[in-house]
Amino acid sequence: MSLNIYGQNLDSRLLIGSALYPSPHVMKQAILASGSQVVTLSLKRQNPAEKSGQQIWHYLQEIVAQTNGHLLPNTAGCKTAKEAVTLAKMSREIFKTDWIKLEVIGDDYNLQPDPIELLNATEQLIADGFKVLPYCTDDLVLCQRLYDLGCQVIMPWASPIGTGKGLMNPYNLETIRLRLPEATLILDAGIGKPSDACLAMEMGYDGVLLNSAVALADNPVLMAKAFGQALQAGAQGYVAGIMQQRQTAHPSTPTLDTPFWHQNS
Amino acid sequence: MNIHINGKAYPLSNETHISVSSALTLHFIEPQQSTFAVALNGDFVGRTDYDTTMVKNGDSLDVLQPIQGG
Repeated sequence: MSLNIYGQNLDSRLLIGSALYPSPHVMKQAILASGSQVVTLSLKRQNPAEKSGQQIWHYLQEIVAQTNGHLLPNTAGCKTAKEAVTLAKMSREIFKTDWIKLEVIGDDYNLQPDPIELLNATEQLIADGFKVLPYCTDDLVLCQRLYDLGCQVIMPWASPIGTGKGLMNPYNLETIRLRLPEATLILDAGIGKPSDACLAMEMGYDGVLLNSAVALADNPVLMAKAFGQALQAGAQGYVAGIMQQRQTAHPSTPTLDTPFWHQNS
Repeated sequence: MNIHINGKAYPLSNETHISVSSALTLHFIEPQQSTFAVALNGDFVGRTDYDTTMVKNGDSLDVLQPIQGG
């Protein structure tokens, strides 16, 4: 089983962020332990006196080389389509990729995406040849609009970025899966536990993108491994076919010829 | 004239405009060793256009570099 992102088949269904780790070394070890082949990163204003940016860049290049992986730049911090389009173009030049994790934030409190600016930016970027991976809310119609614009990959949130609250609206997420069977669906943001990732995969999602849940764990390397295994378990469970729930109990052990069965009734 | 690079003001007394290439020499210590991309007044400027794109009085240049991200 593999994850397909704009024609690229990847062995791992996990996309992982590179921020918030205790050190660059732990970041590298955790990403490698996760098995992920897609690492997200961003851009910030450069301070010429500061060398840390170059150092992180070298670490990320090493990770991508070792995993035969891909960089996925984001447009974090953008609040308008214009800002996001400019940042996407700058990212494409630096990182030599037309993949872009499109984030256009509409509210500072819960970092909720602005659906109108997001659609506007998506349209411009697709026209310019980008392969857009939009970070969006779990709104079915918004996801349909993004798909109609040409997004082969859509990334609804589980819950607000960095909260670790898990899947807030499972019904919405299941409906998006049901209504967009051809789209590659990646659950992005708000994942807290490996079981959250497993649940998304059991719903038939194609992948999960997370960062804080691994980076902020007591042991990020072990947690990265746990997420990799949870995704595998959930994906295999989905493919295997999960049994229908039933209203009443049914004995697992055959009752025919059971000694003493109903003897006293 | 005055230009801003990453929010910092650079007063230039003798020019009315300079190229993006020239403006970058004001900012960088070691430009050859840096990985960066540029926007002028919020619009992307491709590397091949640095010599021909002019920065004028009041313009703002953003020079961005890779960082960790989620």
